[in-house]
Parts: sequence; C-alpha cells; structure tokens
Amino acid sequence: MPLIDPTVVDLSRLQFALTALYHFLFVPLTLGMTMILAAMETTYVITGKQVYKDMTQFWGKLFGINFAIGVATGLTMEFEFGTNWSMFSHFVGDVFGTPLAIEGLMAFFMESTFIGLMFFGWDRLSKPAHLAITYLVALASNLSALWILIANGFMQDPKGASFNPDTMRMQFNSFVQLVFSPDAQAKFVHTSIAGFVTGAMFVMGVSAYYLLTNRHKEFAARSIRMAAVFGLISTLAVVTLGDALGRLDDLLQPTKIAAIEGLWHTTTSPAAPWLVAALPDDKTQSNVFEIGVPYVLTPLITHTFDKSIPGLIDLEGAAGPKILNGIKAIDALQQYSTTHDAASLATFKQYEDDMGYGFLAQQNAPNQDLNAITPAEMPAVVQQTELDTVPNVFVTFWAFRIMMFLGFYFIALFAFMAYFSLKNQLENNRFLLKLCMISIPAPILACEFGWITAEAGRQPWSVYGWLPTFQAASSHNVGYMVFSLIGFALLYSLFIAAELYLMFKYARLGPQSHDHAAPVAGTGALPMFAKPGFAAKSWE
Amino acid sequence: MKTFTKFLGLAVVLLIAIVLAVLCGDYGPWYFAWLVGTTMIILIAVAGGVLFETQLETQKKGS
Amino acid sequence: MEIYVALKIIWAVLLGVLLTGLAVMVGMDMGVGTLLRFVGKNDAERRTALNIIGPHWDGNQVWFILGGGAIFAAFPTLYATSFSVFYVVMILLLFSMIMRPVAFEYRSKVDAKSWRATWDWAFLISGAVPMIIYGAAFGNVLEGVGFHYGWTGQYYQGESFLSYLLNPFAVMCGVMSLSLSIYQGGTFLMLRGVEPIYSRARLFASCGGLLAAVIFAVGGLWVSHLNGYVFTGAVNPGMQATPLGGPAVAVQAGAWLNNYNNHPILWLAPVLGFVGMLAGTLALRLHLKVLAWWLGAVAWAGTISTVGFAMFPFLMPSSTNPSQSLTVWNATGSAYNLGWMLFFAAVFVPIILSYTSWAFYVMRGKVKTETIVNDPHSY
Repeated sequence: MPLIDPTVVDLSRLQFALTALYHFLFVPLTLGMTMILAAMETTYVITGKQVYKDMTQFWGKLFGINFAIGVATGLTMEFEFGTNWSMFSHFVGDVFGTPLAIEGLMAFFMESTFIGLMFFGWDRLSKPAHLAITYLVALASNLSALWILIANGFMQDPKGASFNPDTMRMQFNSFVQLVFSPDAQAKFVHTSIAGFVTGAMFVMGVSAYYLLTNRHKEFAARSIRMAAVFGLISTLAVVTLGDALGRLDDLLQPTKIAAIEGLWHTTTSPAAPWLVAALPDDKTQSNVFEIGVPYVLTPLITHTFDKSIPGLIDLEGAAGPKILNGIKAIDALQQYSTTHDAASLATFKQYEDDMGYGFLAQQNAPNQDLNAITPAEMPAVVQQTELDTVPNVFVTFWAFRIMMFLGFYFIALFAFMAYFSLKNQLENNRFLLKLCMISIPAPILACEFGWITAEAGRQPWSVYGWLPTFQAASSHNVGYMVFSLIGFALLYSLFIAAELYLMFKYARLGPQSHDHAAPVAGTGALPMFAKPGFAAKSWE
Repeated sequence: MKTFTKFLGLAVVLLIAIVLAVLCGDYGPWYFAWLVGTTMIILIAVAGGVLFETQLETQKKGS
Repeated sequence: MEIYVALKIIWAVLLGVLLTGLAVMVGMDMGVGTLLRFVGKNDAERRTALNIIGPHWDGNQVWFILGGGAIFAAFPTLYATSFSVFYVVMILLLFSMIMRPVAFEYRSKVDAKSWRATWDWAFLISGAVPMIIYGAAFGNVLEGVGFHYGWTGQYYQGESFLSYLLNPFAVMCGVMSLSLSIYQGGTFLMLRGVEPIYSRARLFASCGGLLAAVIFAVGGLWVSHLNGYVFTGAVNPGMQATPLGGPAVAVQAGAWLNNYNNHPILWLAPVLGFVGMLAGTLALRLHLKVLAWWLGAVAWAGTISTVGFAMFPFLMPSSTNPSQSLTVWNATGSAYNLGWMLFFAAVFVPIILSYTSWAFYVMRGKVKTETIVNDPHSY
C-alpha cells in the first residue's frame, strides 16, 4: 500500500495548523469575555447601577465582533477532519467524533441560541432572566471547549478505546475513561482559564486606552477594577494548571516533556539544570548553547527530588524494540485483513500495543512496504525510525518558553493593576496603562504558543502511539491542496482585516457610541460619560 | 405554597450541586476545581466592582 | 433483532431527521440570505430582512454543525470518505458558509454603501451556494461516487472533482434544494416582516415552492432510469462495521425503485413531499403563513425521506468498486458508541427543541423598520 505523497501531507498539516491557529485567535477571547460579561451583568443586577449595564453591552458588542469570526472559522475545523484527515477520521472517528457531536448537542446549540437572546433580548426579558441567559452563554462556550479538549485529550493520550482488527479502527469502549482522562481534564481547565486571562487583558487594555486619552473615565476605572481582579486570579490558576499538565506529560508523553525542556540525555542527578534559554539543534541532537538554573528541573517535572527524567536520545533507543514489535504487528494485521485466520490474529494480538510504531516504520521501509524489509536491512530501518519518534525540539522548546514567560509577565501586570486600582491611583501610572494597552494581543499569542507546544510536541503522532501523522491524511493531489490553501489565505486575510478595522473603530468610539441612540433604556445617564465629574452622581 | 415551591426548587439545585460535586470530586478533580474556581473568580471580580462603588461613596462623604 | 442492528437503523433514521432539521432551519436562513438583495430595495429594508432572522441564525446554524458532528461520530467511515471524495466541492461549500456569520455581524457596523453592498453579495453567495451544494450532494450520492479502500481503510479517489461539479442531475437537485430554501426563507420573512418585504417575499416563496415541485417530479422520473445499487450477496446487517470484504453489489438501472415496489407504503414519502410544496404554495397565496412554514418543513421531510427510502440501506454507493459501497450496515460506529450517542441525543434533543421554541417565542412579532434603524443592537 503506497503512502500518501509527503508534499500532500505537509500541505495538509500546513493548512490544518494555519486554520486552527487562526481559529484559536478568537476562541480564548470568547471563553473569557462571556465570563467577564456575566460578572459585569451580575454587578449590574446587584448594584442596580446603569454603568454596569452599559459595560455589559459595550464589551458585549466588541465580543460580538470577535465571536462571529470564531464561529465562522470553527466551521472549518469541523469540516477539516473529514476533508483532509480521512484516515484519521476513519481510524478514530468512533471515539473522537463522539465528543464533537456531544459538543454540538450540549454546548454549541445552547451558546448559539442564547447569544441571540443575549444581544437582542434586553428589552424583552426581565433582569434576572437576562442574567441567567448571559450565564448560560458563558457556561455553554466553556462547555464547548470542554468537549473539544476531551477530543484533543484523546489524541494526546488515547484512553477509552481499543483497536479492533476486524474494523481496522479504534473503537470506543469506556465513556468514563474518555471524559475523565487526566490529560483532557488538565487541558480543559488550563485552556479555559487561559481564555479568562485573554478576556481580562482585552478589557483592561482597552480601558487603559480610555484613561490615557481622558475619556469615559468612570466607565474605564470600573472595567479595569473588575478585569484586573478577574485576570489576576485566572493567571495564577493557569500557571498552576500548566504545572499539572507538565507533570502529566512526564507520565504520559515523555518525548513531549523532553522536547519542551530541550533534554537530550536522561538526568542523572537532582542538580540537572532547568534551561532558561538554549539553541537546540535537531540535526546533531544536542544544544548548541544553554543557560540553565540547577536544581529546578527535577522538582518541577517530577515533583520529587530523586526521580530521573528520560532524555530524547535514550527515549529513541527505548523505541527500538517497540518498532520491531510494531513491524510484526502490522505484518500480521495485513495478513489478517485478507485471510481472517486465527494464527495471524494471535500474532497481531501479541504485538498490538506497539502497532503504531509499525505504521511509523513504513516511511523508512524499501518501497514503503514492511513485508519487503530483509533481515539485513532491518537494523537500518529501525535506527531510521527511532529518529522519527521524537518531535522537533527547537519549536517545542521555544513555543513553551514564550508561553511561560508571558504567563509570568501577566501575573505581574495584573497584580500591579489590581493594586493601583484598589488604591485608586491608576491615572498616575501612565507607563503601566500603556503597557496594558500594548499587552492586549499578548495572551492570545501565549495561547497560540501553548497550542503549538501541545501539538508540535505530540509529533510524529496524530494519535499518540497509535497513528502517525503522515498516515492520517487524505490521499489528495497537490492541486486540491493548493486550491484550498490559496482560498483560505485570501478569505482569512480579508476577515482579519475587517475584524481589526471594526475592533479598532468601535474600541476608539468607546461606550457612548451605542448609547446615544438607545431609545428604550430611559435612564438618561448616557451622554454624561463625556463629563466624568458629573457621571458618578447620575448613577446614584 | 410559594415558599414551599421555592424550598423545593432550592432543594433540587442543592441535590444537583451535591451529585455534581461528588461525581466530579471522585472522577474529575480538575473539573471540580474548574467549577469551584470559576465561580470564585466571577464572585471576586463582582466583589471588586461592588467595592469600587463603596470606595467611591466613602470618598465622596469624606470630601 | 440484535441490538446493534436496531442501533444502526435508529441512527440511519436520526441521520434523516438531522438532515431534515438542517435543511429546514439552515435552509430558511440561507433562503433569506439569497433573497436579501431582492426583497430589500434599500438599506433599511435589507436590515429589516436581516434582523428577522438576526436572533436565530446562529442557533439554526448549529443544526449544520451538529449534522457534521453526528455523521463523524455515528458514521465515521461515511464522514471520512464523503468529505474527502468531494474535497473541492466541500471546500467551496465551506468558503461560502464561513462568509455568513461574518457578514451578519459586520455588515451594518460600517455606514458606507460599498461596504454594505459587498456584504450583501456575500449573503447571496453564502445563501445560494451551500444550498445548491447540499442538494447536489444528494444527487451525486444517488448516482454513485468513485472511491475504493486500501486494506488499512484509507480511501482512494476514483473520479475527478469535475464530475461532481458539472453533473446535470446533481445540479438539478441543487436547484431544487435552493428553491425549497427560498420557499422557507420567504415564508419566514412573511411571518415576521411587514410591507413591502412581505409581498416580495410572498412572490419569491411561491415561485420557489412551485419550482421545487416541478423539479421533484422530473427528478423522480430521472431516478427511475438511473443506475441503482442492489445487494446480490448475503447481507448480514449485524456485521462488523467495515467497508472491506462486504457482500457483492450489483448496479442496475431503476434499482432505486426496488424498495418502493416491495413496500408500496413508502410512496407516502414523495406524496408528502408534493403535498408540502403544492399545499404550502397555496397556503402562501391564502396568507396562511404559519401553516405554509410547517408545510415547507413537510416538503423537506418528504423529499429527504424519498431519497432515503430509495437508497436504504445504501448511504454512499461506490461506482468504482460497488462491493465497497457504504451502507447503514458497514459505515456506522460501534454499538457502544451508538448507544452513548443515542443516550445524549435522547436527553439533549428535547431540551434543544424546547429552548429553541422559547427563543422564537421571546422574539415573536413583526420586525419593523423603524425599530431596526434606531436600535443600536440590531444587525
């Protein structure tokens, strides 16, 4: 069976990565903004002050601009498993498709139906009813993330399914294991709360702009207060969960954690340094230079002072026997697929756990045919395949570091902002306000790098240990891929241009842009934003 | 009657909360942490907003 | 009957229900999108038309997403193969679909003629193209699709994408699907809209209903001469779900009518389709808008079950290797998976239907141009 043209695989990966990264530009903001809107509206219901309703509506408007494009690009993701990863869909659809379907049933329907009411139902619903709707939207958008990350968790650590040689695919066998997979759990909380951070930074940054330009000051001060508190706790939670994920990867995906830490050789003493910076070279399998802090790595990863952490070169060596077993498993499976005899089934069952490594060896076999490997060629094939079992270290190492450094930066920024907001001294700190403004895209960037760490670190697998990425793709020709890539590039560029244009326009315009026309609210407090001194009074 | 329905409603909410907490606590500690944590994050942010209003009021009274 | 067979049949029925729900709800919005430039002569009218579906389009669109997700989970091999085999067509569908959410949110946010005109064109494309492709997919599947499988389950393409794009029968099915969506969208515009949108929508909807009925009749005659697929080997409905090593399948002209000849009661489906289209158009002329909307749903249900009954148990026959055709028996998920999915569908579909109806109830009543233009929240 010939493998898929490597160019097509690369283009398929490129397309998926670009569309997923693009989609993920908008998702975190949705996850966080819905929660912040819920918090703001709660304050409105508790205090009864119009300014909090205006806050909910204004931030809701900016959220809407972002949400539309998130929905649109999410459609692409739902399609792409089928259009570009046919073998993946066939191989794990029985278990991977289920969380996606449940996401639609449980979360996306709720979010999309109620978001209409959230935007259009202000005058048709009572205060508590509208608040309940806002909470449902927030809950639903995060439930969406939950099911998507359960699916992603399966790719990282396949739990809840087993391979069936009669149907040639993984079949679902434990709902509880799938849903409560530790990887899915930690990943969901980490991602969802990273979204909270993104939302908080957005609100804080735009509000900082108003303070800097002396507009809507009362509105901005309140927004910053809520966002800074919200963001500070969230960032702390994100870092905690990041640590938990690292601990899990150490147990479940040793190649990923070794790549993240740029660790080529197994650690021998607890003094092993944690690398602050390094230049990993994937060709020579070593770090060209490194700066590290001793005694940090071992407790950080293993949460002990004595365990060792396996390095990549040793992990490659350990894969050797698995590759030999895997080749036997695939040979037996191919035999079984035509004869359905008990003997080849028994052979396959014996080596089943390593079958993924057999798939992985295909690309190094003569004519990509495992049956054609002569005993003399075997060591070379195994050695070649061993090198293929580890991810790209440079990308994983640096993607992780950028994300992590940004995370610690956010803690500091939110902490300062919360402090000065409590002291009511925001306006004296123009430097801090400027920093907030330019930091708006930083959490989004951190989320993107987090995604890169998780998915680049998963390579060469699309389903860890079971299905190599190069085998998961659809057998298209290059022309198809060029067509779709150009189309996506054009459409998505237009979208981002339009969305940024509108974001800037409405953020610059500020809250009163939609207040002056509001015919119904009838509070009369609206034009007073322009005169902050007067405004505080009118909200009493 | 109205009090009774209210009581019944709250009892149902409580029951769901307990079942959710026990299930999540047993099988999904991180999910449980998310539920508790997110509630906390929202409530503290709301408290921050309410505190702002109180501060404003005190400030005005003081001046 | 074995539980697995029962689950397979239940999911085949649910697939039909989903495809119908998708056609009715998404089709309605697509119809409004297609008609936007024609029922609204000026900006205020167009905004009114948009805001009629404004609070609902997003929820309705989830039918489409759910359709994709449910096919992925319940029919993994069908999802894997059909989406890849129809690659170019699917990508075109995607390109047109993703314009719509953006168009809704962005169109009225800038007060410039050219900006709004551009997005109005986006509405036309993102309304008409997906509906044509949706119908054409049914047409292509009825005619058989060129694909086969290797031993690992990887599919191989047997035909060029041009044969799916430039296929007269499929294009005709696409036009029918577009007509029905125009009918449904027009009817909803009448329900919530006022003059002059009301009369214009009524005209287009009536034409849509009649055209659909004509194409439905022509299509029926065409299918009776089309190559259909029949099992010639022994069929085991409880088989392990794999397209490899299945029973032999023969290609015969007119075979898609076999089910109807064996079970004449199935003729009710096409009859229902015609009743929906014709009585619906009549109801429109009599200004019975609610009745007309529901008759439109009946028309879709009739049409889709007509196709489903004709093909059962085939889902996507292979023209290059008929014995590897995807059927209800060989393309589903495992029993365990289908069981869990059924549980979730049983719990959540009633909940979804109730809050969707509630949302329509909350936003009930005519949408007036004055309110739209003055309301800062409107599209």
